[in-house]
Amino acid sequence: MDHSHHMGMNHMDHNSTMAPHHHPTTSASHSHGGGAGHMMMMMHMTFYFGFKNVELLFSGLVINTAGEMAGAFVGVFLLAMFYEGLKIARESLLRKSQVSIRYNSMPVPGPNGTILMETHKTVGQQMLSFPHLLQTVLHIIQVVISYFLMLIFMTYNGYLCIAVAAGAGMGYFLFSWKKAVVVDITEHCH
Amino acid sequence: MEMHFIFSDKVVLLFDFWSVHSPAGMALSVLVVLLLAVLYESLKFGKAKLLHQALVSMPTFTSQQLIEETDQDSSSSESLPVSSTRTRTRLRWFSYHFGQSLIHVAQVVIGYFMMLAVMSYNTWIFLGVVLGSAVGYYLAYPLLSLV
Repeated sequence: MDHSHHMGMNHMDHNSTMAPHHHPTTSASHSHGGGAGHMMMMMHMTFYFGFKNVELLFSGLVINTAGEMAGAFVGVFLLAMFYEGLKIARESLLRKSQVSIRYNSMPVPGPNGTILMETHKTVGQQMLSFPHLLQTVLHIIQVVISYFLMLIFMTYNGYLCIAVAAGAGMGYFLFSWKKAVVVDITEHCH
Repeated sequence: MEMHFIFSDKVVLLFDFWSVHSPAGMALSVLVVLLLAVLYESLKFGKAKLLHQALVSMPTFTSQQLIEETDQDSSSSESLPVSSTRTRTRLRWFSYHFGQSLIHVAQVVIGYFMMLAVMSYNTWIFLGVVLGSAVGYYLAYPLLSLV
């Protein structure tokens, strides 16, 4: 795979007369070996299993050996688990920090000419309070991590994609278990 | 790879063997992608339904635990069956939660597959994903309120 990659790169440099215009969709298929002459392919468009010359998110982070791929697998797995945990931590934090419960009571006409009191309950957070600022910071972290996971999945590397899926599943299993039990005991209305 | 939407009959989707060359193949691929999006929306309903089933079938879980913990000096004849039912309900809760986690993994994977399908920048595939999401949401949402 890396040979055709480099060959494509060399062609790019030498054939300056040929416009680097990529064939729309037919070149999307993964062509092995010498066939990749005139078609320039920067990234994979189909799933593959491999650990040679895999670029991961940042330009310095290149995987070349099986050991590095195993390390990357563990790292991505933990990242996906952390993402699931962060989601659930934010939910529980939001529930705990909901302050300023306002009750508005209004008289409304009821049957038989009586007057009933209708009570509205509004729950909210103050904008400059610490819980809301914390939620905002955690939201930013969550957005960044979710985009990172998307980009990792976009490498189309089979090992890394499996790491993302397995990490998400394990994270959901571990963190949502605790949440489910807590919800069960403390909340009466579902 | 072109970075704008194009109308084309040729695309390779997700896997090496899934290469489309003809209008008929494209129509079939759009149908498959549509069904994938419908499946994604219905998985949310599936998760909620599984949770509902779990909560309904073991209503004594929480009260059992509370009774267990507050009643420290219960009679010895009663403690054994109570603890065995407790472990049984715990095992059932574990299997329900494991099933939920599997559904969650399926949801994550299908969501990413849909993202990668849209990334092919083929307009027909994109319309298939959007339409499938719409149909899936339309079918699943009323069912969610029944759960």
